Amino acid sequence: MFEARVAELEVLACDQGLDFFPVFFEVVPQDIMTEVAAYGLPTRARHWSYGKVYQHQHLYGAMGLSKIYEIVLNSDPGLAFLLDSNPEIANLLVTAHVFGHVDFFKNNLCFADTNRHMVNDAVAHALRIDAYIERYGLEAVEHLMDIGFALDRHIDPHTGLQRQPYPPRRIVEQEHRVLPYDDLMETPTRSVTYAVEGERFPPYPERDLLWFLITYAPLEGWQRDVLQIIREESSYFYPQFNTKILNEGWASYWHAELFHLYEGVAPDEMIEFARLHAGVVHPGGRFAVNPYYLGYSILVDIEKRWDQMHAAGETPLTGREKLFEVRRTEDDLSFLRNYLTPDLVKRLNLFAYGSHCTHPPGQQCTQCQHMVITSRVRDAVVEALLAPRYNYGVPRILIQEVTTNTLYLERLDRTTTYLDRQYATNTLTYMTELWKQPVHLLTSDERGQDTTLTARLASAVL
Amino acid sequence: MVQANDYSTKPRALPWELRRRGLKDSLRHDQRVKEAIRKNLRELIAEEAIITSDGTKRVRIPLRYLDQYRFKYGQPPQGVGQGQGQPGDTLGQRTGNGNNPGDGQPGDQPGEHTYEVEVPLEELAQMMLEDLALPWLEEKSERQVTTTSYRFTDIRRRGAFANLDKRRTLLENLKRNAAHGTPAVGHLRDEDLRFKVWDLHEEVHANAAVYMLMDVSGSMTTSKKYIAKSFYFWMVRFLQLKYRKVEMVFIAHDTEAQVVSEQDFFGISHGGGTRCSSAYQVALAHLEQHHQTERWNTYLFHFSDGDNLPDDNATCKALVETLLPHCRMVGYGEIRYRDDASFYGWIGQADAAASSLQYALQGITQPHFLSVTITHKEELWQVLQQFLQPRETAHV
Repeated sequence: MFEARVAELEVLACDQGLDFFPVFFEVVPQDIMTEVAAYGLPTRARHWSYGKVYQHQHLYGAMGLSKIYEIVLNSDPGLAFLLDSNPEIANLLVTAHVFGHVDFFKNNLCFADTNRHMVNDAVAHALRIDAYIERYGLEAVEHLMDIGFALDRHIDPHTGLQRQPYPPRRIVEQEHRVLPYDDLMETPTRSVTYAVEGERFPPYPERDLLWFLITYAPLEGWQRDVLQIIREESSYFYPQFNTKILNEGWASYWHAELFHLYEGVAPDEMIEFARLHAGVVHPGGRFAVNPYYLGYSILVDIEKRWDQMHAAGETPLTGREKLFEVRRTEDDLSFLRNYLTPDLVKRLNLFAYGSHCTHPPGQQCTQCQHMVITSRVRDAVVEALLAPRYNYGVPRILIQEVTTNTLYLERLDRTTTYLDRQYATNTLTYMTELWKQPVHLLTSDERGQDTTLTARLASAVL
Repeated sequence: MVQANDYSTKPRALPWELRRRGLKDSLRHDQRVKEAIRKNLRELIAEEAIITSDGTKRVRIPLRYLDQYRFKYGQPPQGVGQGQGQPGDTLGQRTGNGNNPGDGQPGDQPGEHTYEVEVPLEELAQMMLEDLALPWLEEKSERQVTTTSYRFTDIRRRGAFANLDKRRTLLENLKRNAAHGTPAVGHLRDEDLRFKVWDLHEEVHANAAVYMLMDVSGSMTTSKKYIAKSFYFWMVRFLQLKYRKVEMVFIAHDTEAQVVSEQDFFGISHGGGTRCSSAYQVALAHLEQHHQTERWNTYLFHFSDGDNLPDDNATCKALVETLLPHCRMVGYGEIRYRDDASFYGWIGQADAAASSLQYALQGITQPHFLSVTITHKEELWQVLQQFLQPRETAHV
């Protein structure tokens, strides 16, 4: 019965133009669900930090505070987990929702280069890391993974997983074109000059800190492998981080749409469906907007506006066609900037909030403790939404140069932001452990003044 | 094209060791929490949350060692919310470390706060103190004390009604009724009654008495007393692990001394001068009366800031020497801050390393006497270690 209805929904989804990989559904009990959610993948290299998340979610699940309805993985074929204790109608809704997600994974450009076999690869990773634990000890592997996780968002997802080292230092001949008035110069220029390439190291500021350390730090083979595993898995999750609002909005739009069209729903089930749908796209709290709701609202708004424009002959695209275009070409940053209109901000009653202090950041006053509505202007709201999503949610840090083996890092946006100093120092110490030489970070203090943090190997200090 | 080991379509083909990792990793996490507490001990030992948690069995302690470091912004987060209100309206107050406004977290980023764990106090004490040992513990065996306690060991048909075992009685009643074909409780008869019977239980163990002496004169500030209090807190916890019964005697003194209650001990403060010998005198009298050497393992500690009346020092030394044969150990801790110029120390010997009292007491060569200086609450752990390290048995 359930399988038959899933098949009907699948046909319906294809008719509507959704284009997804075949999807395997796995119906599992609550604790398996919790486990997959904690790790992000069904099987993944072990690390104590997943245990922390697992414990937390397990407790919340047991107390009935949170319930995970669905987990869907970006893979080909698609893989989705449903909860065995859910009523059938809930799992049907989830199924329709999953078709939306898998269509998004397959067609959104952010996902074009993702590893569609990560579910399998992660198993291989887990086995490899288990072997390293066996060989080098849990503490050593765990600590290396701590370091890897500290840097796992400082990657460059656009350079590909298998990146080549920088070109080696070499001398290149450059032919000098003879210019019309060269003969007027006192010293005649040569027709051929020699330039040194690869003199600077790195040749340009490098943002993939993890790749740089894997490639150039004095590490053993297994250590490079562990870090590369972390880098690969982080790259796999990057597009999902970057499209959370759009992806969830898209999936929510489609479960609603498919259930409008689907005729195999009994009336009492429809009421339950409506209740569940309202739960999925509930607006969220006063301090946080539910991304499902935000994405869904924007998509519905786009469809309506383009349908109107299409009717008025202003655009060749119908609302639905426009939606498919958005689904293909946008990520959260462009999606919000392009389509969260002033009108919609007003309708959804959104505001940006924060401290309303005029003194430089880092100082304390009584006002600091107050959360204040800072703006209702559309641009401010959009930027406040995007700020935590920018650059994988981490500060932008570049490797500027290496001089006598010392690593010089520079943080961008120094005048407007500052780092948590204790965390930064500890992370730099981590980097030093890999690099084995001092690491400097040019950053700024709480008043926006440039300052340099330095980490040295503990043995070097003595 | 499905590969032979395609785990996405055949999850059940997973190797066994890769299944149920959540449980394994959460056990590992628990283990790391314990390790973190252990690494944290030096700081935790003076943690107010623990010392002041009188009565509660579990304590919450912040753990910094479990943080997962990464580069993160230091400024409080901005966010987007929804609902009524004009720009400038206050929404609420930040709580805790400022990362979480009242209800709910801003954005969908995982909140990062100091990780707090809840640990049973007893377990914590055990962990803190497991490296410590009671000095001269061996001598205890010579003076083991037996006490008797009562334990219910048997069930009989006759006994005092106060000892009626209601559960068994009802069960017997039910069985008897069931045997007659009516499986229900009712119609109690004498033959249903069951009584618990106790036996005398003899236990061999040693008792300890701790004499806690503290200077409460005007120069002992709250923070100085806090150090003494923390020390006594752990000392008592430690002795309770080693001895079945630990009696505590609190003696507060300025120029005069008296035995006080625990509550008063940490609460009271007097002005005026200091005569430490008064405390030793009271302790000696109390000890001879209540805690004879044959039956008790007595530990005596005294905390002062050393501002003793100069002419009293010799008396103190003599009294400590009298006390020593009665005690397993006598400890003197001097709480000294470099920045406070105390009256006598300032006049007499401002640059001397030890105040006159400590100087006088250092003349005692008996190994059961220990004297330490503490200048900061972070040193508490070292002081505990100094007092409580395994030592060779002295030849009596």
